[in-house]
Amino acid sequence: MIRDITLGQYYPEHSRIHRLDPRLKIIVTLVYIVSLFLVKDFIGYGIVLVTVGIITAISKVPLKFMLRGLKPIVLIIVFTFTLNMLMTQGTILWEWGFLKITKEGLYNAVFMALRLVFLIIGSSLLTLTTKPIKLTDGIESLLKPFKRFGMPTHELAMMMTIALRFIPTLLEETDKIMKAQQARGADFETGSILRRAKALVPLLVPLFVGAFRIAQELAMAMESRCYRGGEGRTKLNALKFRGRDALAIVFTAIYMAAIMAERIFI
Amino acid sequence: MSIRVENLTHIYNKGLAYETKAVDDVSFTVADGEFIGIIGHTGSGKSTLIQHLNGILKPESGSIFIGDAEITAKKIKMNEIRKRVGLVFQYPEYQLFEETVSKDIAFGPKNLGLSEEEIDERVREAMQMVGLDFATYAGRSPFELSGGQKRRVAIAGVIAMRPEVLILDEPTAGLDPKSHEDILNMVKSIRHRAGGIVILVSHNMGDVAEMADRVFVMDGGKLARVGTPAEVFADEAFLKRIGLGVPPAARMANDLAARGLASGRVILNIDEMTDFLADTLSGARESKS
Ligand SMILES: Nc1ncnc2c1ncn2[C@@H]1O[C@H](COP(=O)(O)OP(=O)(O)O)[C@@H](O)[C@H]1O
Ligand SMILES: [Mg+2]
Repeated sequence: MIRDITLGQYYPEHSRIHRLDPRLKIIVTLVYIVSLFLVKDFIGYGIVLVTVGIITAISKVPLKFMLRGLKPIVLIIVFTFTLNMLMTQGTILWEWGFLKITKEGLYNAVFMALRLVFLIIGSSLLTLTTKPIKLTDGIESLLKPFKRFGMPTHELAMMMTIALRFIPTLLEETDKIMKAQQARGADFETGSILRRAKALVPLLVPLFVGAFRIAQELAMAMESRCYRGGEGRTKLNALKFRGRDALAIVFTAIYMAAIMAERIFI
Repeated sequence: MSIRVENLTHIYNKGLAYETKAVDDVSFTVADGEFIGIIGHTGSGKSTLIQHLNGILKPESGSIFIGDAEITAKKIKMNEIRKRVGLVFQYPEYQLFEETVSKDIAFGPKNLGLSEEEIDERVREAMQMVGLDFATYAGRSPFELSGGQKRRVAIAGVIAMRPEVLILDEPTAGLDPKSHEDILNMVKSIRHRAGGIVILVSHNMGDVAEMADRVFVMDGGKLARVGTPAEVFADEAFLKRIGLGVPPAARMANDLAARGLASGRVILNIDEMTDFLADTLSGARESKS
């Protein structure tokens, strides 16, 4: 059900990937995203697939769990796929009225869909293997240079920590309210789009009320523990760059070299 | 109408590293008109178990019969089941969403496809049953009520569906003593008027001892004990071991029995203890004089 959404969720494990420095993982993920836009054919995706496969295996995150993260974006993938397939000019394979599928369109559609899938899988690997708190520590540390220009880096990082922290809580809340309304005969699964949208009211209103309640409680709890922002605040677990992080950099370099070589020479 | 549950097992997050067997091979029957109390430590699977009884959760294995209908069967109409089995969730006040109290209570009956007049009649009846004056509260926003009142509105929303089985998941959790008392009296009066099966999940041993015909004790997803309140609360050592206690009066009675002052009668609440002490003391005074 609603709990199946794994986007932005953490999968507790003790793998080498989990233990990497979060700053490094964020940068590597950005590099990976750039690499996806450098790929120009399916051989390139082959390299991506193998790499992602190896990292997933090392991370010990079950494949089933990762693929469940794709569920909520299936609609977007299908949408881009269809659009690409129908909107590209070229050799016509199939025609029906004003709809036509071209060879180039089909190629484009598969290509774009794959790019989206790899994009999601890669970025969910980051969140699946990095505790939200580490992730925001990493972001805060990476943003430090901008602090001099007046960017409230600590506050941004704290906001992100809280947002990430409350994703599972809100999902749980959604699940609970959904069940409670179903017990009163609410039906979220059938009917026309309009009917379904209307059926969401009994879900969304309590959810918003709950979100505000939670926010208020949290603000009070932070206040009562004297939270006053980032100035002079030290970390319990300071980030440290280790040997395995250096190894990860080497692997990333090899991967990027392979992607570039494939683009230029094949 | 009766309930039959056979070898029910539920696993959360099956196949993942953190899967939990929340209900483990549970079987029981409940006869028509029975009042069942379910007790158990937090996380023992009480909520999971009762959410199966109206089909909100699907079991991993096992079957459930409500009357003659097997609700775990594939082709069952869920609304039919939810009409017959009303479930009041833990902290039900968080499910309120309508602009007015009466509209919120009408949500369930509306989903059953009843006529306007029928809905109106049921809303009035349900509000009366939970002790909310229709003229005063019907038009008010549920969000401006007190905690106890909100909870009554939520309970009324389920009662208005006129279920034959009413299940309440810790209906008094987090309430002040007055609201606690009110909700309990309400449950009693509903049972008195509407009949049918009532299943009450509670952390308050006294309430369960007082109201239930039979008590189910859950421990680690298993149904550890089933019996009358007298039977279940006699074994204080067992209940302590699984993180529960017994009602204060029963504890006193058990302690007296341990000192060889067994009364031979069942003492579960303060009234029974008072009677026992009064009898004993007056007996002692008479024998002295
Ligand atoms: N929606 C859920 N997803 C995953 N695990 C759950 C969920 N609900 C309950 N659990 C787990 O199942 C077990 C039983 O929980 P629950 O039925 O709520 O117990 P109780 O109501 O007796 O406190 C607990 O270990 C709890 O953590
Ligand atoms: Mg519970």
